[in-house]
Amino acid sequence: MRIGIDVGGTHTDAVIMDGNSVITSTKVLTSADVMEGVANALDTVLRDSGLPSAQIQSVMIGTTQFTNAIIERRQLAETGVFRLCLPAGRGLPPMVDWPDDIADAVGRHAYPLHGGYLYDGWPVADLDEDEIDKAIADAKAKGLKNFAVASAFSPMNAEPEQTVAARLKQAIPDAHITCSQSFGRLGLMERENAAVLNATLLQFADTVVSAFLDALRTRNLSCPVFISQNDGTLMSADFVRAFPALTFASGPTNSLRGAMLLTGLEDAIVVDIGGTTSDIGVLQGGFPRESNAVIEVGGVRTNFRMPDIQALGLGGGSLISADGETLGPQSVGHRLTTEGLVFGGNTLTATDIIVASGHQQIGDVSAVAGLAPDLVETARRKMLTILDRGIDMMKPGAVDMPVILVGGGSILVTGDLQAASQVHRPEHAGVANAIGAAIAQVGGESEKIVSYQSIAREDAIAELRTEADARALGAGATKESLRVVDIEETEVPYMGQDTMRVRVKVIGELASSTAEAGT
Amino acid sequence: MKLGAEHLDDLALGSVFLATGGGGDPHVPILRTHEVLKRQGPVELLTPEDLPDDAFVAAIGNVGAPTVSLELLPSDDEALIALEAFETQMGRKLDAVVSFEIGGGNSLIPIMAAASRGIPVVDGDGMGRALPEAQMMTYAIRGIPSPPALACDYARNVTLFTTKGTDVYERHIRALAMSSGGMITTVEHGMTGAILKDALIPGTVSFALKLGTFLREHRGQATALFDPLKQLIADSIYGECRLIHTGKVVDKSTRIVGGFDVGNTIVEGFESDQPPVEIDIKNEYLLARRGDQVLASVPDLIIIVDYETSEPINAERLRYGQRIAIFAIGCPDFYRSADALKAVSPRHFGFDLDYIPLERLPS
Repeated sequence: MRIGIDVGGTHTDAVIMDGNSVITSTKVLTSADVMEGVANALDTVLRDSGLPSAQIQSVMIGTTQFTNAIIERRQLAETGVFRLCLPAGRGLPPMVDWPDDIADAVGRHAYPLHGGYLYDGWPVADLDEDEIDKAIADAKAKGLKNFAVASAFSPMNAEPEQTVAARLKQAIPDAHITCSQSFGRLGLMERENAAVLNATLLQFADTVVSAFLDALRTRNLSCPVFISQNDGTLMSADFVRAFPALTFASGPTNSLRGAMLLTGLEDAIVVDIGGTTSDIGVLQGGFPRESNAVIEVGGVRTNFRMPDIQALGLGGGSLISADGETLGPQSVGHRLTTEGLVFGGNTLTATDIIVASGHQQIGDVSAVAGLAPDLVETARRKMLTILDRGIDMMKPGAVDMPVILVGGGSILVTGDLQAASQVHRPEHAGVANAIGAAIAQVGGESEKIVSYQSIAREDAIAELRTEADARALGAGATKESLRVVDIEETEVPYMGQDTMRVRVKVIGELASSTAEAGT
Repeated sequence: MKLGAEHLDDLALGSVFLATGGGGDPHVPILRTHEVLKRQGPVELLTPEDLPDDAFVAAIGNVGAPTVSLELLPSDDEALIALEAFETQMGRKLDAVVSFEIGGGNSLIPIMAAASRGIPVVDGDGMGRALPEAQMMTYAIRGIPSPPALACDYARNVTLFTTKGTDVYERHIRALAMSSGGMITTVEHGMTGAILKDALIPGTVSFALKLGTFLREHRGQATALFDPLKQLIADSIYGECRLIHTGKVVDKSTRIVGGFDVGNTIVEGFESDQPPVEIDIKNEYLLARRGDQVLASVPDLIIIVDYETSEPINAERLRYGQRIAIFAIGCPDFYRSADALKAVSPRHFGFDLDYIPLERLPS
């Protein structure tokens, strides 16, 4: 048995799964401190299922807390950004292209320094000891504790980053440091941005992970705990203390995977309607379709790989204009249950329209009896039009595809969707994210520096694939489900001719009864 | 017309499309140019007809391996240092600047330089696309000497080239680019307005802007883009337009060799019965083949776009697993002359085949 938990901005969901079957599920409001909601959800599913804690083999958590912290610019620690790249990139300091509000929240503490490497392994410039000392002294005087360190071509040679990180740690022993090298491939600005977003979340990550573990411990759940990653694989909870940014976009991934499990459909459009937005994604062969674009998180360019999601400003709490023509993107969000008309409030929301149209009976139906029928009909149809257009843009071809509706807001769909060949509303659709978390996958990675003069490229990649496969199998993946999701090559000329750092990542389905470890 | 900050995103989008994989990442050049245009006001985009015959013009751009542009961030003063050194060397001020190539970051650098100096930029370029080497430029093919040329590297080192012949010049600037971190900014081809008009591929800056606007407005699947794109290209200097493949990148391998990004990519078709398409890369996408069958070759344009959004993807950002579409587009007529083909035919790039224009290849 596994527990899957999804912590969203509005609701916290939990499920207990036996293999691929849902034993019990619950949906509670996300509390202001988040953890009360998690505790409530856990208590409810444990009580409803009547299962003793000892029967739970693992707990998988998907959480939007870190994404939301970035988007809402809260819980962010002021962060010093040390970039080793000068004299290249003069006049282009770290965070130069960030939206003002998040740059302000993170503090604009940019330290461009000499250092880094050129493509051929030569230094861009030697490290300047005085310059580094001054920068660290300044950061220390400002009381900064969080740091991101990035250097030119660090995927090839991360020594400058490591040197500066060590110096920081020496000067500020309680510093929290993220090196850009941890975020992979070439693209200094995007890699640095990923490191900054990660570094600024480190204290918050520590608090969140500790709170999760406490909540589980007090319920005698001593099994392994995993948190879902943006590519749909699992990380150990402790790993998230150091890499909270890897949880970005795990929500949409989980909802897509959950929708697949609930319907058995491997190729479909998934529309996840929440309180504020409708997220439209595409399942292809059972996996979320990935975006090719440079991914922005909270307006910041990063190098993360993420599912291709079209977010529309339409959800159960969306505000409706007096004529019914304008819906959203403003929403009452989680205050729906106090501010919506049917809940005794004074705000006309999308949910009120659906109740007024007679399609749902929620709350006090009489509160919307007086709404003009024209308004109700206009707004109800408008919702379908908005979703149709969104689905149309995401369809892989001209042919209509099945559409799976998940999320609490799926009641907004009251008729046919033109763009869908068929509309599925599976049982447990409201908790698809928690189900997706519970069936999350495991990854295996293998990285090595190889010389193509001593081993042919295809042989080197094949060897790494075998090793990555073995790691994924060791972490509980089934053999037949393994697939390569990434192959990365970076030249490391200073190590010799034809020398490359090669990294292969594979992902596989978790065998139904095991969950040993994640990355 | 006047080019302002509001035009940059569309112009960059259109020129990454025409870059056929090369030209360098445009993000930092967009930021830089944006800043300058905000500060100095819009720049005059001069049609060739409006360029006086006796105007003094030079070409400006970056030379090197585009992958480097992702890590070795360009500085705000490199273009101006090179420009000023050029003017000092020539003993006169420039009246306008012109682009090497309408491609990626390289289409923005002349605009940034022109805006900084308050001089116009000419609507046109020396390639009508991007190509890897100096002797492939229309200016060089028309016999306009590159030198004296001035180059500035990331550390503000300035180098003067007075080499004889463009082939030698190419070898020398490439050597400098290789030993200066893989990317330098150069100012070359000092020429009069009259000489430039004879060698220019005209109207490509305004066309890139138009194309970028079109791509933004038609953002969506490549298969849906194809028909309207075909129309747009038919009405331009490029003519033929084909959608030659759709599929997933299953291999991508490029290395920095001799100052270029060199390698290839393999794209498996969405329909599994179709053999994969292989594309050879030297900074730009040069040759697309399915088995032995040539689908398109240099100097015609091969363009890779994201399948879902039709956003063009530069070679340095092409990765394993991406779902893409490949378009092929005819090159400007200039490049189909015998003189031009001596510099840009597939054979020149080491492929054992003659150039067959796109419209004569089996589709």
